[in-house]
Amino acid sequence: MEAAQPFPHEAADAAEQTAAEQTAAVEALLFAAERPLAAAEIAGILAAVSGAEVTAPDAEALVRRLDARLAAGGHALRVHRWAGGYRLAAGPQWAPYAAALRGAEQRKRLTRTLLETLAVVAYRQPVTKPEIDFIRGVDSDYALGRLLELGLADVVGRSEGLGKPLQYGTTPVFLEQFGLGDLADLPSLRDIEEILGDPLFSKERARLLSLQGLGADDAPDPDEGDALPLPEEPPRSTPPDADQREE
Amino acid sequence: MFQVHLQAFEGPLDLLLFFIRRDELDIHDIPIARITDEFLTYVRFLEEIDLDGAADFIYLAAVLISIKARMLLPAAPAEDDEEPVDPRRELVERLLEYVRYKEAAGELAARFEQRAACWVRGARDEAEAPPPSYGASVFELVSALRRVLRAAPEPALHTVVRAEYTIEGQQRWLLEQLRAEGRRLFTSLTAGRAKHFIIATFLGLLELAREGALGIALDRARGDFWVELRADGAKPVDQTYGSGAALSA
Repeated sequence: MEAAQPFPHEAADAAEQTAAEQTAAVEALLFAAERPLAAAEIAGILAAVSGAEVTAPDAEALVRRLDARLAAGGHALRVHRWAGGYRLAAGPQWAPYAAALRGAEQRKRLTRTLLETLAVVAYRQPVTKPEIDFIRGVDSDYALGRLLELGLADVVGRSEGLGKPLQYGTTPVFLEQFGLGDLADLPSLRDIEEILGDPLFSKERARLLSLQGLGADDAPDPDEGDALPLPEEPPRSTPPDADQREE
Repeated sequence: MFQVHLQAFEGPLDLLLFFIRRDELDIHDIPIARITDEFLTYVRFLEEIDLDGAADFIYLAAVLISIKARMLLPAAPAEDDEEPVDPRRELVERLLEYVRYKEAAGELAARFEQRAACWVRGARDEAEAPPPSYGASVFELVSALRRVLRAAPEPALHTVVRAEYTIEGQQRWLLEQLRAEGRRLFTSLTAGRAKHFIIATFLGLLELAREGALGIALDRARGDFWVELRADGAKPVDQTYGSGAALSA
């Protein structure tokens, strides 16, 4: 999360003096801005005001220097890289104080439906609504509409496919609100085998069985295929084999 | 008979996944007959209470039944030494794909929480500001007006009076107000005013919006809308999802 990297030490000379001043100027800029500032934007302002030549990589170095100073000084504020820019924010350990001041949670949570739809949009963008519907197995009209309203997703183009459906993608607001520097910062999708081997699966089963007052020992053998006995709560009195005659 | 909480499942794939996880089934070797039965029991239950929500489930139930039917049929002789395709294969691939996004949604939720714990300046303004883009219809605008009118005080006696407020006058008044404040809620502009004042103001506002001098953004949560001075005066008034430069491609 933190973009903190110690800035290489420099000798104390005139250049150091300038750098210290510019770092303070960056601090003032980041403080005043109520949105992430891109390195190029910072560089442009520094160059315009001071007349000195400042490039975007220079600005990035200044931001790192500022963050290292804040970290070393034990400040609550740190520089975060969100949505391709830099923004000052108080760390999570200070959240209770800020929350007490404002008397409420900073932002509302998103529902599971919205998060699931957002995940598909984020990882598959540009993606059309039929594609989202297919992956989720449900109509995503409402969820997509809400994401657009919240500014987390937007129309990014049109597919070349039949009927040229609209394509959706995530917005800078999404990156900012999820604390991502850019799309490459998205956590990588978990490997399928890894998901399947997760011990949480068996925990879930044990919990369910204990709720029903049944032992956890009657785990069905996956190798038996269709001839599996119904382990718990058979939905009807139909014996497992009878359903093959049913349809 | 098991009890099902409807909101617990995001959709048919989620439900299928739940059965598989619960019984620790091998996702590559799903006992189709049994799963189909369980699934159908749930769908019948769902149909009774929520027909709208059942549609997606019925579709997958049909997919399951078709897979089951294909599994009962003798496999077609394999051509050119090809592996016979398992009828369940497509479904399994869909399920696995779905699991990945479900997991990713959990990851994103954690990121969101982490980020929300980092307080920034201006967070309050962000929370209160109208959504950046909103597809509002004129009906929503008018129904917002109706709510304001309903709340306006109605005099008990009625006397005919000359209209004190003109649309042109209200346009000037609006611009004055907004120059001072930048952005106002419509209710705050018209609080405590008489009906003809509100109507003249609303009409003046529409005229200014048409000219592009004002921006309007609906705030659905409040049942109100924001009025905002436009510096450039060139942008369209109503920012819908469907319009905008991104579409012209």
